[in-house]
Amino acid sequence: MAEKPTLEMSRYCVPFTPFRGRLEEGSVCLVSTAAVHHESDPPFELDGDLTYRVIPGTARASELRVADAHYDHGCVDQDVNCVFPIDRLVELTREQRIGGITEKHFSLGFTQALRQLRDETLPHLVEEVRRTRPDAVLLTGG
Amino acid sequence: MTVQRLIEMIGIPTVLVTVEPEESAQARPPRALCPEGFVAGHTLGRPNDVALQQWIVMEALGLLLGAPAPGEVIRRSFLLPPGAAGEV
Repeated sequence: MAEKPTLEMSRYCVPFTPFRGRLEEGSVCLVSTAAVHHESDPPFELDGDLTYRVIPGTARASELRVADAHYDHGCVDQDVNCVFPIDRLVELTREQRIGGITEKHFSLGFTQALRQLRDETLPHLVEEVRRTRPDAVLLTGG
Repeated sequence: MTVQRLIEMIGIPTVLVTVEPEESAQARPPRALCPEGFVAGHTLGRPNDVALQQWIVMEALGLLLGAPAPGEVIRRSFLLPPGAAGEV
């Protein structure tokens, strides 16, 4: 019997999950590639890092740091919300414009090992995102 | 970005905020917003500008409710019109 063919999503195909419900009732999770980490966690390796950091939903921007050498930090050194708007999401929750934020948020660091990232790191990260049960994920770059 | 597509593939709606629209469009994002005029390092707007950052976040989340445009990066300006109160 012929070997079972492996099907892989074409890059021309775009996955799309409709958002159901209302933003005012939805829980939002932040996922960033801006190399953000909590001050109590180890920073990312600047020349390449395949790990990710979990940022608790109770953290505020003043407790977060950026460990990166690939974009200008003039703004994030003053306000991490420029790339990781966790304080803004807390305010929007308080104003009932969104339903809330998840217990965990996530950040990746810089890497050029994109295949290894996709095959080894991202499956674990995506599974952790799933476990936080967000209604939507807001992604930010650096 | 690949992580966005993977999250969407497990049934969670996503929206990306990007200041590199050409690069992001190549990755065929399910939903993406480009706030025009900002660069890497302040994707969500100027530091400590709460109103502007909230505006960009809500515009991004608003794409969850709008007409689907999978694979496209929606560009929006976040400058107030000339003469408007609080012009930036």
